[in-house]
Amino acid sequence: MNNVNSAILDANIGWMILAGFSVIWIWLGWFWGRKAKGLEDFMLAGRNVGMALGIATAMATWVTSNTTMVAPQLAFQLGIWGMLGYSLGSVGLMLFAPMARRIRQLLPHGYTSGDFIRLRYGVWTWRLFLVISLVYAIGWLISLGMAGGVLIHALTGIEYQYGMTVILTICVIYTVLGGLRAVIGTDFIQTILILVGVVVLAILTINHVGFEDMHSNLLAERPELLNLLMPAAIMFLFNNLLFGVGEIFHSNVWWSRAFAFRKDVGFKAYLIAGIFWVPIPIVAGFIALATPALGLNVPAADMVGPMVAAKLLGVGGAILVFIIVFSALASSLDSLLAATSDLVLQDIYRGHINPKADDEKLRRMAKIIILLLGVITWLICLPRVSTLASLLHFMGAFVASTIFPIIGGLYWKRANAYGAFLAMLSGTIVGLIAFNVIGFYVAALVSAAVSMLVTLVSIMMSKADFDWTMLKTKREARS
Amino acid sequence: MIASVGFLSAIVVIAVAITVLSPIILLLLWVKDWKGKKIW
Repeated sequence: MNNVNSAILDANIGWMILAGFSVIWIWLGWFWGRKAKGLEDFMLAGRNVGMALGIATAMATWVTSNTTMVAPQLAFQLGIWGMLGYSLGSVGLMLFAPMARRIRQLLPHGYTSGDFIRLRYGVWTWRLFLVISLVYAIGWLISLGMAGGVLIHALTGIEYQYGMTVILTICVIYTVLGGLRAVIGTDFIQTILILVGVVVLAILTINHVGFEDMHSNLLAERPELLNLLMPAAIMFLFNNLLFGVGEIFHSNVWWSRAFAFRKDVGFKAYLIAGIFWVPIPIVAGFIALATPALGLNVPAADMVGPMVAAKLLGVGGAILVFIIVFSALASSLDSLLAATSDLVLQDIYRGHINPKADDEKLRRMAKIIILLLGVITWLICLPRVSTLASLLHFMGAFVASTIFPIIGGLYWKRANAYGAFLAMLSGTIVGLIAFNVIGFYVAALVSAAVSMLVTLVSIMMSKADFDWTMLKTKREARS
Repeated sequence: MIASVGFLSAIVVIAVAITVLSPIILLLLWVKDWKGKKIW
């Protein structure tokens, strides 16, 4: 995969596409950034994001480079259940829909997921949650930065360091210029590009190969891919579902959007985004099932998608895949940069270092933090330590431990700080043990189960009667 | 239990159909938001 000779697109074409998109995204970042007047405008797009942009940003952020590249790989390795299992990642988006509405109702002045944990569970649970959230966010940033460099190199032969630097720099610049407005605005365009791209590839595959040929060749050469009872695929399906739910429930990427959407938009936007997301891994992934019919020899499973596209469409197909992957990477990277900077700004800087900071100071700091996050990610990604790319594998244990403390905190008055703290801590520890003893595919499952048990027991034993109005507190600069 | 050609084609065709519709719906919603001045 990392051999320049195996690149499916000329490096010069790759540079031209990168240059073109750099100009467009940065100009749009500047254009939308002009309208951002205050801190709320910069961080939360004025809390006024409409339905179309709301649905698109939720979809685009959840369509990462993983979805477009790993979906064909999973179909190639795990068959039909591989792509269907990946589709279950959408369950997290759909389940978050009612939560987004409740979050907006309970915290009309909230900025981050950390705000909720602090007001609901107190300082120590908040700090534990921040550790989990920030470790996860940095891990995701690193994996996306590395994926950017690796994919650009694999598709075009452009050196890993150059590709990684370019995509990170573009995303940092337009996020600094335009804040969440730039992120959500570009997400809309990126969503359209991704959807049109995967549909074109899918229709071409159906036209060129056809289902009959695809099925008969699979049956002859790789019948296991048509097996609906493949055990590894079914286990992957459940772990992927819980990992996805944990990622979405705790991550500020999704909370910041719940705060940023108009009052009546959150529920519908997340629900529709979830429904629209379901078919994407199937459409992007099923083309891999055409490899036996096309007579393709696939040396590395993670390049199966681009190889099928190049076989069917030649240079045009390779360009299409490059644009899809680039859009998918940028739409997730920018969202993560913005949401993580919000968390660092509100919960670390304002919460622990400078509670007296006013809006103007915070807005300046937000830009500095985005820049710093970009630089830190770049420095960690630069040496290309391959083990870092699998960093997210064990994060399932961390994020799944937050699912039930968050649900409990949003819906049960009796959910309490001790229970939430213990649930996150014990879920993470036992999940990590399961990760080491059994395997990555059970880390999230075990963590969520332990965390659920602790949360439920603590709720049953508690006499707490939380006052929801405490969450409506507006955080002012203290003097 | 092996998936039949009918099963395979059904899930792919349904998935493609939803994916074709989704950008169209998104663009229509964008126009609706734009007309109602509710984009941002």
